Parts: sequence; C-alpha cells; structure tokens
Amino acid sequence: MRFDYALVASKIPEIFHALGVTLFVWIVGLVGATMLGFLVAVARRFGPRWLDLALGAYVELFRGTPFLIQLFLLYFGGPYVGLSLDPIPAGLLGLSVYGAAYFSEIFRAGFEAVPSGHVEAGECVGLTRAQIVRRILLPEMTMLVFPACVNMAVVLLKETAVMSVITVPELTLTISAIGTEFYAFVESLFLLALFYWGLVEICGWLGRLAEARLSRFRFAAA
Amino acid sequence: MSEPAIVVRRLSKRFGQTEVLHDIDLDVAPGEATCVIGPSGSGKSTLLRCMAFLEEANSGTIDVYGKPLGFTEEASGKRTRLPAARIREVRSQIGMVFQQFNLWPHMTALGNVSEALKTARRLSSAESEERAMAQLRKIGLENRAGHYPTQLSGGQQQRVAIARALALEPKIMLFDEATASLDPELTGEVLNVMRALADDGMTMVIVTHEIGFAASIGKKIVFLDKGRVLIASPPQEVFRKPRHPRIDQFLDTYLDRGAAMLI
Amino acid sequence: MTLITFALLLKAACYTVAISGVSIVIGFLIGMGVAAARLSTSRWIAIPAHAFVSFFRGVPLLVQLLLIYNLLPFLGINVPSVVAAVVGLSLCTAAYQAENLRGGFASVPRGLIEAADMTGLSPFQQLVRIRAPIAFRLTLPSLVNEAILILKASSLVSVVGVIELTRMAQDLDTSLYKPIQLYATAGFLYFLINRCLAFAGASAERRFSWGRA
Repeated sequence: MRFDYALVASKIPEIFHALGVTLFVWIVGLVGATMLGFLVAVARRFGPRWLDLALGAYVELFRGTPFLIQLFLLYFGGPYVGLSLDPIPAGLLGLSVYGAAYFSEIFRAGFEAVPSGHVEAGECVGLTRAQIVRRILLPEMTMLVFPACVNMAVVLLKETAVMSVITVPELTLTISAIGTEFYAFVESLFLLALFYWGLVEICGWLGRLAEARLSRFRFAAA
Repeated sequence: MSEPAIVVRRLSKRFGQTEVLHDIDLDVAPGEATCVIGPSGSGKSTLLRCMAFLEEANSGTIDVYGKPLGFTEEASGKRTRLPAARIREVRSQIGMVFQQFNLWPHMTALGNVSEALKTARRLSSAESEERAMAQLRKIGLENRAGHYPTQLSGGQQQRVAIARALALEPKIMLFDEATASLDPELTGEVLNVMRALADDGMTMVIVTHEIGFAASIGKKIVFLDKGRVLIASPPQEVFRKPRHPRIDQFLDTYLDRGAAMLI
Repeated sequence: MTLITFALLLKAACYTVAISGVSIVIGFLIGMGVAAARLSTSRWIAIPAHAFVSFFRGVPLLVQLLLIYNLLPFLGINVPSVVAAVVGLSLCTAAYQAENLRGGFASVPRGLIEAADMTGLSPFQQLVRIRAPIAFRLTLPSLVNEAILILKASSLVSVVGVIELTRMAQDLDTSLYKPIQLYATAGFLYFLINRCLAFAGASAERRFSWGRA
C-alpha cells in the first residue's frame, strides 16, 4: 500500500464532504420516508376502500422490487416524462418513496397492535375520537413501532450506498474513486466498509438507548 | 414402614435475592399420593421441580429410593455435583406432568408417547409404538393417536402428556398443577386419570389448587407457606378444626370453589 | 417492447433466480455453522462468529460485493465475476440467517425442552429430535423473507459486471433508449418472482403447521 500521507491528507476534506452527503441524504430521506409512510398508513386505515387498495398496490410494488431498479427508473426514466432530477434530489426522492412503503407497513402493524381494549377503555371514560387518537392510540403505537423504525432507519442508511450508482457523491462513490486514484482498491474498500460498520453500530447503540428510555412506559401488551 | 420413595432434607432455594424454599424436610412414602398445597408463591412448584432436578437447590439433599439426586452434601456443607449420567439414572425413575402439557407440537399423540422409548430407551419403532398405543388405550385416547397436539383439547393433551410420562414406567410421578391450565369442564377427565393411577398404587407427588381432590386422593397433605412446610400429615389432621390459622385463611378463599367436600 | 427484448430480459431473470438460489442455499449452510459457532463456549470461535454477523449486517451489500470482487484477485484468487458475486451474496445472507436461526432456537419454548429432559433424551437427541425441527419451523417465515430480500439484493451484482436482470435492462437501455419500458419490465419481473417466492413460502408454512388451522 502506497502511503503518501500528504496526498491522503489532501483527500480528507473530500471524504468528510462525502460523509456529509451520506448523512444528509439518509436523514432527509428518513424523515421523508417516515412522514410519507405515516400518511399512507393513516390513509389506508381511515380512508375509503379504493384508496386503501391503490396505496396497497404502491406498497406491494415498492417493497417487491429492488431499490436500484427504482432509482434507475426515476433517474434515467424521469426525463422522458419531464422529471429531470440531479443525482442528489433523485436519490432523496427515491429513498423517501422506497422507505415510505416499508414504514407504512410498520405503522399499519403498529395501529393493529394497540390492544382494542385500550381504545375501548378510552371510549368508556368519555374521550372523543380525536382525544383517543391523540392521547392513547398514537403514543402507544409509537412505543410499539419504535424498534422496527430504528431497524428500518439502519436499512435506509445502508441503502444510501446504492445511490452511488446514479452518481450521488456519497461515501461509496467518493471513497472507491479515491481508491481508484491511488490504485488501492482493496484498502479503500475496507476503509469504506469500516466507515459504514461504525455508523451502523453507532446508530444501533443510539437506538437501544432510546428504546431503554422509552420502555419506562412498558405495558402489558408489549 | 417401607423405605421412603423421596427424602428431602434441609432443602433451600434462592432466586436471586428471594429465598423461595427454606430448609425443607419432607418424606414421600411409596405407593401413595402426596399432595402439596398452599398459596401462590409459597414455593410448591419450585419444590416439585427440585425433585425433578429441573431446578437446582442451593443447599440440602434429595434422595430418590436411597440414591442422591443431583448433589451430595457433606456435614460441612460441601456440595458435590454428580456426573450427568448418574443424574439421568436417578431421574429415569421419575415422570413429570407439566401445567402447560409441553407436548411436542411436531409429533402426533402417538409420536409424543413413543418418542423417548425409541430415542432414549432405544427400543425398536414397532415395540415403542406398541407400548405407546397401550398407554393411549389405558387413558382412552387410542383413536386420537394420529392427531397433533393442536388438534386435541386441553384435557386430551394433558392425558397424552400423562401417557407419555407413564410409557417410561417410572416409579414416581410428579404433577405440577396439572389441571391449572384447563377449562373447568376438562379438569375432570384428567383428575380421573390421576385418581386411577393413585388407586393402582403409583407413588405420586401432586402440586395442585384442587383442594377437594387433594383431600380425597392424598394420603399425606403438605401445606407449604412462604417456602416452609407448615404441616405434613394425613388430610384429617390437616383439615380438621381447629385448624392452623394460615390454613384457615387459605381455605377461606377456596370455599366458593366447592371445597365443601373437605373432611 | 419487442419480443426479443422481453425474451432477453426473461433469460436474464433466470440468471437472477439461479444466482439468488445458489446464494441462499450456500448462505443457509454457512449461516447454520455461524449460528452454532456463536453458541460455542470457546471464545476463539464465538467472538469471530459474532464479528462476522456484525460486519455483514452492518456494511451495505454493495460495499461487500465491491470488496470481495476486488479482494479475491488481490489475494491471487481469479474467478469469474459471477463467483465473486455469489460469494458476496452468500456471506451476506449467511449473517442474517445466522441471526434468524439464533432467534428461532431461542424461541423454542423451554417447557418442551424440560419435557425432553424428563423423558430421558440426551442433549444431542434433544437438539436433533425436538429443538431443530421446532426451531426450523419458527425460522421458516424469516427464511422466506430472506429469500425475497436476496432476490432483490441480487440486482446489485450488476455493478460488478454480472449479467442478470438489472444489468440486462441497463445494457438494453444503452442501445434502445427506452429506460421506462425496460426498467419497469425488469421491476415487474422481480415483483413476479417475489410473489412466487411468497406463495411457495406460504405453502411450506402450511405444510409444516402440524395440524394447526
């Protein structure tokens, strides 16, 4: 391995920028996916039947096809229907729509997991529908789905690597390009792997921490 | 008096910081049913499980027909764990029936009963199945032999579980709240099987909430309270008034459950 | 879309299925080994197994594939890219399957094992006759799920130059300039195969439900 420290040091800003892009796309995509997924879950549960079926088809399609294909469709196929996106916006949109399909299923399961007895108890003490949703259904649902959401967040973090194929300047693209430049493919890829491994471990640790804090409200059904 | 089947001496068991059994001394006589009753949390199941070596006591000894089970303890208090083979040997004289039945879901009733004969006792398939069928016939479930546990009612499952234990011809049968998980109308069929066993002279240790049943079938009633044996005597002595105040208190909660058949 | 184009995509889909299938099977075998290793009392075996699972679940598959694709020649092992791809996929799925198996074995109700203890079955007999069959049944849904995930993940091997469905669509796009048609069709084929897998999985689950409705 050729180690010209000055040369490597000159690349550090680039790596940090790439890390920034990865985190940016991940977090914004995650937020988008969570919000969109939540809307879809709510629409499916409380909306008209035709909407449930239509959104159901969306969810099935986006969970049943590879993320890469979805990205290709959006990035390469988009211009043909007037949607010309740069790599980063395309990656963001792709990740959000892809993640939303999974999150909607997580939330859907969460709604169903809240014991109907708890909702009925709310009705019996005279809470309005809105109050029940706000004070009982949503808080309980949040605690039930939290672990699954943390898992999904980690999945999406790893999926950001796929965006390198549509030239989003995130970690994978940047570090493997540096590797090519220095003729050190394997070393750079190991570094890349360690980067992600570290990120995922930190994420998991934070998630477990948050879960522990939330489980103060542990209740019988969970 | 013949040699006791099980001899428990100075048995103590702790779960973490909680002392569940304190210095238990108990003799189980052969050929009769010994019923262990008491409030929830008194340590009845733990005591039974120690006899089956499903829990390991912290101190004290259990001897089955004179042979130590699990540990030997010297006067100094030093405990020595016996080798696994010896434990298995002593244990093979004991059969256990669990509250949750614990039938293996991927085997039929016949499969459950014959499994240990085939695998552990190394009998031929044909021999194992023949013996298993004989056991099933005894409890009246021979026409359910090919059914899986999920296709059987709770009472039927428990009876198959009893047959499974009996197939190995144990000298002692332990029952850990065998009817506690059953709907009331199904407990009868299981209790009848247990009564028939007792009538046949099987040595049984029964942990149960069915006080009336315990009083009618048990030759000795052991009342356990907070990990100690309050009294271990024939039913007449245990239930005759004036009773120990704790037993009075305990029985009060059961009077609604038709325990009026008490002596 | 012409018939020839569709036929090419279909053929490529077969490669996808083949690559995925082989990877799942090899991955399952490795996964069993890793799961067993993690339970080992020897730290020398358990800790590397732990690290293996942590690494292959913590690093994106794309990076794993690139790494193995470049690492093998670096170590002097020259194999066709397909082989490198299958190695990468297998190792990745092995880590997940090891986790699934661990969960499956942990979920076998304790009482069933106690009953086996009381009827005199030795630990080995218990493993083979009681724990393994029940654990396998408990693991089956996640196994099916994993198969579906691998099928989708196999699209990434296109990046290391393996001809399968995604790569075929890409190649056709460079000459036909019909990305929407091509990628939509490819996506649909993936979807169809996944549906079949899910159906097969449901059938298998029914077959092993032992009398449950």
